[in-house]
Amino acid sequence: MKHDDTFESRRRALLQAAGAAAVLLPFSRAGLAAEPAKPKELIVRVWGGEWKDAIDGGVSKGFTKATGIAIKYDETEDNELQPKLWAAVKQKRRPPVAVNWDTTTNATKSALKNMGEDLGDLTNLKGLLPVAKPLGFDGWPLVNVYSYVYVLAYRTEAFPGGAPKSWSVLLDPKFKGRIALYNDGIGFHPAAQVAGGGKVEDIPKNMKACWDFIAKLKAQKPLLGEDPDFTNWFQKGEIDLACTIVTNARGAKKNGVKVAWTIPQEGAKVDTDALWIPKGLPANEVYWAKQYVNYALTAEAQQGWCDGLGLPGVNPNIKPPADMVGDPAYPTKPEDFAKLLRVPNKIQVENEKEWFGKFKKIMQS
Amino acid sequence: MIRVLDFLESLRATLWPRAARRFEAAAFLLPALLLVGVLVLGLAWMADASLRLLDTETFELSEHWTLANYRDLLENDTAWIVLGRSVLGAAVVTAVTLALAFPYAWVMVRTGSAWLRKLLLVSLFLPFFIGQVVRAYGWLIVLGKEGLVNQLLGALGMGPFKMIYTYGSVLFGLVQYMLPFAVLLIAPAVTAIDEEVELASETLGAPWWRTFLEVTLPLARPGLVAAAMVVFTLALTDYAMPVILGGGTNDFVANMVYDAFFRTSDSGMGSAVAIALVAAATLLAGVLLTWLGAGTLGFRGEAKR
Repeated sequence: MKHDDTFESRRRALLQAAGAAAVLLPFSRAGLAAEPAKPKELIVRVWGGEWKDAIDGGVSKGFTKATGIAIKYDETEDNELQPKLWAAVKQKRRPPVAVNWDTTTNATKSALKNMGEDLGDLTNLKGLLPVAKPLGFDGWPLVNVYSYVYVLAYRTEAFPGGAPKSWSVLLDPKFKGRIALYNDGIGFHPAAQVAGGGKVEDIPKNMKACWDFIAKLKAQKPLLGEDPDFTNWFQKGEIDLACTIVTNARGAKKNGVKVAWTIPQEGAKVDTDALWIPKGLPANEVYWAKQYVNYALTAEAQQGWCDGLGLPGVNPNIKPPADMVGDPAYPTKPEDFAKLLRVPNKIQVENEKEWFGKFKKIMQS
Repeated sequence: MIRVLDFLESLRATLWPRAARRFEAAAFLLPALLLVGVLVLGLAWMADASLRLLDTETFELSEHWTLANYRDLLENDTAWIVLGRSVLGAAVVTAVTLALAFPYAWVMVRTGSAWLRKLLLVSLFLPFFIGQVVRAYGWLIVLGKEGLVNQLLGALGMGPFKMIYTYGSVLFGLVQYMLPFAVLLIAPAVTAIDEEVELASETLGAPWWRTFLEVTLPLARPGLVAAAMVVFTLALTDYAMPVILGGGTNDFVANMVYDAFFRTSDSGMGSAVAIALVAAATLLAGVLLTWLGAGTLGFRGEAKR
């Protein structure tokens, strides 16, 4: 694309002028001398609640302190921002955000459309865990920043005998109308596949076990929602069980809701989130957006950010927060990793539409 | 002051000469035409996108046109279920809303008590200031498992009952949302009814219910038809109530459009669903107008009986 070529050449020229020192030594005196002009602020897309608090305390405050660049947040839902970003890049308009905190699945879609700047020149990519590298791309159109597990969260008062052992507890008639899933079924497919008697390796070719299990679940009249709904539903006493990201369950617990979580015997899906920078920003903002991402990968920033989320980062030098030590939802031991169900991102992206259609067909019938 | 007025008059004569005055009506229409033009452009873009298929390896729409999205839509059981739920829901909401709105509008117009009229007007306009989403969340607080109603019932030794996240709760929320629109559309029609006509009916010996059915209701028909059309189309295309009060399993067509555009990044299928929704709503409105006649809206023309 002509636009990309022009933009790339401008960016390269600026980076050459800035000098390699600026890239290798961000925020240092040597770097500052040749750095491009600092924007007053950078806009970062985030999820709200504890997600925003975590990135603000862990990454943004440190970045602002080091550079003087203020960070503003755009809390537009990731799915809703995506077409706006795509349209902006396609129409050669300035994109609405400088850094997009996104699910790896959505970020991969954008990367397939060549929407992002290459992050391959970030100095802090070296030494990250292999999970940081996006699969199926030569360069780094995105960088994965942490992993998360879709746990089985439960209201402790409903389980006086301790944590449920299996995802099959969702089918217990006692919990009819009191269970919750994501409204697109995300995070539940591999667990349903195993709980239904199938194998994760059979995804996507043979998912009969998954769809049969979800069809049985429909009779349980589940509530379907987004991240904030789960906390709300637990708080309001609407549900006893949910398949949700551990961060949401932890957030509810921190807010005084009597909630705990477990990784059932069938295992639980693990996934990643990513940061990426859309094309079409002025060259100086691309530079500073990259510095933001680079800073987010440092041990210091990752520690603060991931402590807030209760999730394992991609920097190997960080430690789990006190309340997550020994928790299999923050995997550290081989037996923890053995219980994680992983579906390659390429398979997720290519099959998302079909899976969504099947999930909707069951749930809307 | 006179000089200022003279200046303004000469300015107007320069900018808008007498010869141009015959275009005044068209000029007044221009903003509305521009707005409709933008909408038509958007629809044209969507019609084009609806004829292009998504490639899930590149997430680009196809270069060539195809009817595949429409074919998939016609063969999609979920789409038919959601369309049926939306049309049925819109019909029920329209019937219930009109049944509640008419007596409200009638009392508001006919009451002799200024205090009652003010109370009804304030009750009517207050929800407008609150907005749909906040009102829907309000119902979650009132009708939830630990909400106000269940707490009261609990004090009486009953419940808790599931009153939200059902199809019924979506329709309930929509009726509450639509009621002010319907009252505002019906009230002018009730105001226009000459009370002496009703008195004449009663003087001739008709009981009140017969006067109501054969005099009041027919004369209020322009307002009722307008309210029915507005309520039906707004309910049919509503997004927020099914999302907030439906619990994720009571989607309307607008939710399908959202899902296609924003969840599966398929603007082709999203456009196809949107075009189908616009076509269905337009067709139903057209059928209603053809059946009742445009005159029922108070436009010039013969209203059918």
